Amino acid sequence: MTCARVRGRLSEWLDRELEPEAARAVSSHLRECAECARRADELRSVSALLAGLPRLESREPVAARVLDRLEMEAEARRPALAVLFRGFAAARPLILPSLVPAGLFLVSVLAGVVALDSGPLPEVHLAPGAWGAVPASGTERNPLFPSADVEVPRETTGLDLSPEILAGRGEGSMFVETVVARDGTVAGVTVLQGSAEGEEALLEALRQQRYEPVRYRGRRVAVSVYRLISRMSVEATQRVGVTHPPAS
Amino acid sequence: MGAGEMPLEAEALTGAGQERELVDSCRSGDPAAFARLVRLHEGMVFNLSARLLGDPEEARDVAQEVFLQVYRMLARFEGRSRLKTWIYRIAVNQCHNRRRFWHRRRRDREEALDEGLVTAEAPAARAAAGPGPYEEARLRERARRVQAALLQLSFEHRSVLVLREVEGLTCEEVARVLGVPEGTVKSRLSRAREAMRQRLLGLVEEGEPS
Repeated sequence: MTCARVRGRLSEWLDRELEPEAARAVSSHLRECAECARRADELRSVSALLAGLPRLESREPVAARVLDRLEMEAEARRPALAVLFRGFAAARPLILPSLVPAGLFLVSVLAGVVALDSGPLPEVHLAPGAWGAVPASGTERNPLFPSADVEVPRETTGLDLSPEILAGRGEGSMFVETVVARDGTVAGVTVLQGSAEGEEALLEALRQQRYEPVRYRGRRVAVSVYRLISRMSVEATQRVGVTHPPAS
Repeated sequence: MGAGEMPLEAEALTGAGQERELVDSCRSGDPAAFARLVRLHEGMVFNLSARLLGDPEEARDVAQEVFLQVYRMLARFEGRSRLKTWIYRIAVNQCHNRRRFWHRRRRDREEALDEGLVTAEAPAARAAAGPGPYEEARLRERARRVQAALLQLSFEHRSVLVLREVEGLTCEEVARVLGVPEGTVKSRLSRAREAMRQRLLGLVEEGEPS
């Protein structure tokens, strides 16, 4: 065996990992070659130096740190369910004391509402007319809701239907809304159905009407009055004249 | 746990049945069993990591990570290899990963850390040898130089050397820990020893240690 070959196998030879034959060859070479023998000694020393290194210890035990970490991780995973299963008050120790001022506040607000409230005061209420031509309230053609609490306003100045006015009227009928303001004057007259052409005199007469102010819960309110005007309506109004006696 | 206790504690688990039992207890979520497993192996994991990394702080972090990983992977431990081998393997991998990251970051601090490593973390050597102050200083200097030489090797060579010479594993066990053929371990070992010999020529000529 050459020196180079022996040196290449010294490590295994020292570990006694060589085949018996190879081991014998290395051993016999080392007996003869001082240089290789010294090399072997040095390698042995290296192994001894490494084996002789003091064992290092952690200043703080690793186990405690690991177990702490695992516990923390378990803790971090747990809470969602734990909160569910804890008692309600136990999970929220401050909720009962905090409900007391909240309750007091709520009571005072309610008391204030009750004390100040004399009922809602709508500006406009609809009196259901005595006229069958009014479409059912709440339908597309009459989006306004009539209020059962409001009386039909009584006329103080009747409708002046002079023959000149009626003479111009054709066969068509008209459906008219009169908005009565709070003071009983007519705030506006609108033709909801039918032609308004040539009816200026009639509409003007409607505008000249005056009503008794309507009261709702003790306060004056504005109302809308609907009426159907046709040739027959004059008589019809007269018959229902309990509420609307036309001034003839 | 001192250096002298290590073999005793390793012996506590020599029976494969005992090891199996401990692993099963850990898997069933017994914290005391896992604590025992950690205590049985933390010494060797710390020593290995400290020698591979040359930094006690890093070694502590690695040891912690190793056991956390052991805990999470215990379900996958098949018992074909020894528990010790398996834990060594995890430790070497952790050190390797840490090393790659750390090498970039703190290459310059390495030399200073070696000193701290040996003086601060080796009370066992002093207690066991009980030498005078001069002898103590000489031993400490020797250990420092050996560690410094170790850190100059590649990670591959260093890990083979530490497992074989410091931890005292057989070539076969080293092969299993590193997951390489035994022949590879032997050739790496040969080259690593030669590299160490060249670096430690001064020390080697001082004569046989101890």
